[in-house]
Amino acid sequence: MSEMTNTFGHQKTMNIGFGVLIVLLYVFLMAPLVMIVGASFTESLMIEFPPQGLSFRWYFEFFNRQDLVDGLLMSLRIGAVTAIVTMSVAMMAAMAGQVIAGRLSGWFQLGMTLPLLVPELLTAVGLLFFLYKIEMAKTVLGLQMGHILMSFPYAYVSIAAAMRQVPHSLEEASQSLGANGWQTFRLVILPLVMPGLAMGGIFAFINSFDLYTISLLLKPLGGNTLPLALFDFLTYEFKPTAAAAATLSILLSIAGVALVQRLVGLQRAF
Amino acid sequence: MATVEVRDLRKRYQDFLALDGVSLKAETGQLVTLLGPSGCGKSTTLRCLAGFLEANGGEITVDGESILGTPANRRGFGVVFQNYALFPHMTVAENIGYGLKIQKLPKSEIETRVYDAMKLVRLDGLGDRLPRAISGGQQQRVALARALVLKPKLLLLDEPLANLDARLRDEVRWLIRDLQQQSGITAFYVTHDQSEAMAMSDMVAVMKAGRVAQFATPREIYQKPTERYVADFTGEANFIPCQSVTPQGEGRYAITAAGATLELEGVPGITGPAELLLRPEALSLTAPEAGTFKGTVTKSAFLGAALHCEITLPDGSMLKLAAEPNHKVRTGEVVGIAIDNSHAWLMPEVAP
Repeated sequence: MSEMTNTFGHQKTMNIGFGVLIVLLYVFLMAPLVMIVGASFTESLMIEFPPQGLSFRWYFEFFNRQDLVDGLLMSLRIGAVTAIVTMSVAMMAAMAGQVIAGRLSGWFQLGMTLPLLVPELLTAVGLLFFLYKIEMAKTVLGLQMGHILMSFPYAYVSIAAAMRQVPHSLEEASQSLGANGWQTFRLVILPLVMPGLAMGGIFAFINSFDLYTISLLLKPLGGNTLPLALFDFLTYEFKPTAAAAATLSILLSIAGVALVQRLVGLQRAF
Repeated sequence: MATVEVRDLRKRYQDFLALDGVSLKAETGQLVTLLGPSGCGKSTTLRCLAGFLEANGGEITVDGESILGTPANRRGFGVVFQNYALFPHMTVAENIGYGLKIQKLPKSEIETRVYDAMKLVRLDGLGDRLPRAISGGQQQRVALARALVLKPKLLLLDEPLANLDARLRDEVRWLIRDLQQQSGITAFYVTHDQSEAMAMSDMVAVMKAGRVAQFATPREIYQKPTERYVADFTGEANFIPCQSVTPQGEGRYAITAAGATLELEGVPGITGPAELLLRPEALSLTAPEAGTFKGTVTKSAFLGAALHCEITLPDGSMLKLAAEPNHKVRTGEVVGIAIDNSHAWLMPEVAP
């Protein structure tokens, strides 16, 4: 009997231990966000935490800075195109991945996630040389290509995971009921992978929004993405405007997640 | 409605020969079962019929016309899968109406036909449920309705009962057989369960390593198997090697086995060594002098409805039989075994 209480006591200690660990983990993950969001509302001229007073002045300042707003618009535009292109290409790749069998399948998966494994800088340098070769260096299209390349694996992983949840027999059932490939895709596969597809698109968008190195090397003449513009800005002025910009980025991510939740429910997306 | 013929079908995966010349025939309205252990090629044959797999050789004809060039979605065959393969994002009614929607039929016609189909499989009132909200047996009935609502030329069933528990299995089995007979649809049915095959089929193809070992009626498969493999797969069986075999005209033989002489029917044309097939129900216990064989009881177990006995014969072969439950039997006792000659069968010892 005493042994049993002991075991339960032990179990309890373990549970408390895990609880503490998880709280610490969340603190670790959330602290920077809390700091930056807090700092963006300060009245003082420096980025500091806790904020001094409460004001929206740095948000006004942000939207009055042409360079930062241009960067934001550029990032939004490139992110949106990245999301759309990666979603469609990754969808096709994931479908191909389903069909490829045996040893090749592993290599295919690896190939699709290669941009994650190669250091971003190397990809950027290689791509820059390539773009010079085809005379597209320093153009928006070149930058766009870089972003698509770097964001593709995120969309692919999410969509491929969703595809694996769709049993092959559903496609066969659809076929046997008279549907051709396109009808099967539209009526059966697409609705079933939609959560993964939406999540993949949002991952791709957020990733693109966040890319720095590849943007630095491939950016078009006279154009900046938001991270580049922010970094330039911080080099000369260490003002809470940057915190305001970061808070806006965070809001954008939350909006993305909320959108997925609204469209398909988070449980189904992961 | 449709006569289906499969001739010398072959399918190869890299270095594995899945189908090594399968030949079968289903007359209009027949239910043909493909029976065998996993890996024998029964599902592969069905998938070739459905058009999900491309055969490497051979021919499949429906009413005399080859269908090998027709893609799966234009064959007009209904397929029922082991895992039901219902579309999880569609309601029961939407699942059943899927094929009709693909055919772009008017909404009102789809509604009536779906309604009728649901009634046919006794799913009335479940039309708005999602597949995950109904039981396994109901799901398989939806799958059946979804296939039948299109009035297919041929119905293909791939172990449709394997995921159901015993009680539901019986219910769905009879529903399948009833609907198939009512509508007169030709059907192929894949299973590894011999009792299922026996109970519902017009013809059974027992498959072995990519070939058809025997293709016959359930009765013939059970009572007159062509080889030991078939006899073993279709139920309990005793085999006794024969010392001598003398042909007595077409399919009749006089033999001596385990010290007894008897005359019986068998596979026509046996020339080499042969063995005697005795199903447990062909045997009964008698006094030592009255039986055809004499042997020693080595095991007996009371099973309620019957007394299960194992008896060792003088030549060392063993007989399993089900005796009358109140029969007094002691282990080590010498007993006689009477044979119902009409249920004894002679087979060549090596498959022809």
